[in-house]
Amino acid sequence: MVQLVKPAAVSRDVLRGNIQDKYTDVATEPEQGFHFHTGLPLTAMLGYDSAAIDSLPAATVESFAGTGNPLAIGRLAEGAVVLDLGCGAGLDTLLAARQVGQAGRVIGVDMTPAMLDKARAGAATLGLRNVELREGFAEDLPAEDASVDVVISNGVINLCPDKVAVMGEIARVLKPGGHIQIADILVHQELPQDAKDDIELWSG
Amino acid sequence: MLDHAGFVGLEWGPQIDVFSGSKHESDAKEFDTRGVTFRAVKPH
Repeated sequence: MVQLVKPAAVSRDVLRGNIQDKYTDVATEPEQGFHFHTGLPLTAMLGYDSAAIDSLPAATVESFAGTGNPLAIGRLAEGAVVLDLGCGAGLDTLLAARQVGQAGRVIGVDMTPAMLDKARAGAATLGLRNVELREGFAEDLPAEDASVDVVISNGVINLCPDKVAVMGEIARVLKPGGHIQIADILVHQELPQDAKDDIELWSG
Repeated sequence: MLDHAGFVGLEWGPQIDVFSGSKHESDAKEFDTRGVTFRAVKPH
């Protein structure tokens, strides 16, 4: 018997609005500081290769937010089609685009237009033609069924109240034999339902 | 959740205390919250 996590009783639309506001600030005013780490110090904390980070546009790095390095658990194959779920300012998107090369493609998906603008600008600065940015939600990915080899994501699924729906959507867009490389947060203690239902704790 | 979506071959990467030194450090510690990385496969 499969034990499913009970979805939190928060308004998905209100939560999306709060998160969009927060991450618009991370995109446009990254210097203001947030309740979570961001930017270059975070890349060092998470073990990203410093030379790779230094090769990226400063505007990409300054708006980076994440909880791990999804590319550290396996190198992406040349020619692979990759979807970066919640790509933000595009740090992982750009690194992935270099790994898959011109024969491959990376589709960055995010619901925050200001973040997509930064990701798009970063790809243009690096002259990466194998990057495509799409606006969309984790629960309704803008991608065809069985069209992607790898889904990567970094610190995004924890922001989605219905994680079962998100994982089902990821499975939908993956080709058979495709895989996920995901960084996120894991809570080792049982969260009380009132904490799960407190929208302020979700978006900070 | 991964099983329910049909994924197999789960592999875990290292865990990281990603909220250390942040404004949410105490909340994160209370619930033993860690950054994790994992890989899993959609079967053929």
